[in-house]
Amino acid sequence: MRYEEMGLTEGDFYSRNFQKGAREDTLILNLGPQHPATHGVLRVIVELDGEYVIRAEPVIGYLHRMHEKMAEVRSIYQYLPNMGRVDYGHALGWNWALVGAVEKLAGFEVPERAQYIRVITTELNRITSHLLWWGAFTLDLGAITPIMYAFDDRERMLDILQMATGSRLTHSSFRVGGVCADINDTFIEACKEFIPHMRGRLPMYRDLVTGNIILRKRLEGVGVFDADLCRRYGGSGPVVRGSGIAYDARKAEATPMYDRFDWKVAVQTGGDSMARYLVRMDEMEQSLNIIEQALASLPEGKVMMPKAPKVTWQVPKGEAYFATEGARGKVGIHLVSDGGKNPYKIKLRSPCFSNLSLFAEAARGTLLADALAILGSLDLVIPEIDR
Amino acid sequence: MIDTLFEGLAVQCVGRCDPAKTGLAWSVFLAPSELLAAARRLYEALYFIEDLTAIDAREGYLLVYHFDHMDKPGRVALRVLIPHDAAALPSIAPVFQGAEWHERETTDFYGIRFDGNPNPVPLLLPPEMTDHPLQKDPEKRAPLATLVAVGDIVRSTADFFLLPPEAPKPEASGA
Repeated sequence: MRYEEMGLTEGDFYSRNFQKGAREDTLILNLGPQHPATHGVLRVIVELDGEYVIRAEPVIGYLHRMHEKMAEVRSIYQYLPNMGRVDYGHALGWNWALVGAVEKLAGFEVPERAQYIRVITTELNRITSHLLWWGAFTLDLGAITPIMYAFDDRERMLDILQMATGSRLTHSSFRVGGVCADINDTFIEACKEFIPHMRGRLPMYRDLVTGNIILRKRLEGVGVFDADLCRRYGGSGPVVRGSGIAYDARKAEATPMYDRFDWKVAVQTGGDSMARYLVRMDEMEQSLNIIEQALASLPEGKVMMPKAPKVTWQVPKGEAYFATEGARGKVGIHLVSDGGKNPYKIKLRSPCFSNLSLFAEAARGTLLADALAILGSLDLVIPEIDR
Repeated sequence: MIDTLFEGLAVQCVGRCDPAKTGLAWSVFLAPSELLAAARRLYEALYFIEDLTAIDAREGYLLVYHFDHMDKPGRVALRVLIPHDAAALPSIAPVFQGAEWHERETTDFYGIRFDGNPNPVPLLLPPEMTDHPLQKDPEKRAPLATLVAVGDIVRSTADFFLLPPEAPKPEASGA
């Protein structure tokens, strides 16, 4: 249904549409598109009865860039940098999804050393992403200090990641058949120094923030999701793991190499915002474990497969679906190729998109302040929702 | 397992795929009229919706619905072919509410209508926009047989549109 079909010629389309179902004694409020708690250009229209949310509707698309159309007018190599821009928080998860889909379709064997480098950098990136969320989320809840600590650690990690990927934010260092550059001793030493440092910081985070009574009061029992809700909306990542389901695409989809390391899927059974918070805090520790083991058993060898495809290489005919675990949940790429210069179709399965879609149902009946806590506990990255 | 799950539904083709090669465990083709019932069976079997999208092919739009299971991983792809000139099919949002956004996105990109979607307004593209950017030029559409994985066919109807051509007879080996 578009503008003219609604019999409207003026005013804001989404407000008009939302008003249709509103009661007479309620207040309709627009949160965003520019709102400090929406972390980017996200708009949520809410209908309020006093301080209670009766109805909520996220309005998205303000950061829409049509990555799926771009995929059809570029070769795979030209498209790789797009992946760093879909989710700036965990760019390497998306990198891996794209090269993984191409490698699956073409049947390529990637050298072990390259896979290890992918694991190490992806996990480092996962921690930087969780730190960014942790700082921003606590900021939403009114705690201004934690983001300073988070960015202190994140800064060090970005310096380390830069050595391996060449960039600090929109990493795109993975290639079809390997990674763009080998890691050097400086990188390995920096990682080995950083791991114990970070392990010392996490207990401080716990004492400073996790145990804080104000934080607990804001999060405990707020926004309880059950497994059924997650299934109906396709929620994934910390959203399902906070609801007692040990579902992690790194294990479920057998992302290469992860079966070689000793690590646990972080799960909490509470289902509330606190549970999702705790899952992410545990995941940072698990990522450190994975990085430590991967560095200790890093195999020698090449970082690109022999006869790796050149820039003009064309993806063979057929389709492949590759999914891995991004920081926010299950990142999937559905690649369809007709054997031409550019992919025939690429579908980006974004975890934030599905996680945000359950917000309307989860926010119904909560206090407005709690709805914002739920929004923050979903760990939204807007470019990933809008793609 | 999927074979028994869709018992009683008019399924056009059920194919077992190799997850290592395609990422899919099952590829199931069905008619638009069976879609909602199939979605309900998947929901009752505790599957969750991953995503849905369309592929613009020569034969029509192929709608692709991906489902996965949290305890027993194995992706099921439901596929529904609809003609270009009557691009509409039932919404599965009454069963999987998460499909609402995916369907609105598919309407934006392809102009496909989902009957029964609870809020059929544009999702990602501006409401003024009338173009559908992922529709392909008719001459650039590829045949489905080159695009999608049917897998090893477990069962199919006799007139299924993607039945592989009969295997060529081995040539008589000359002396």
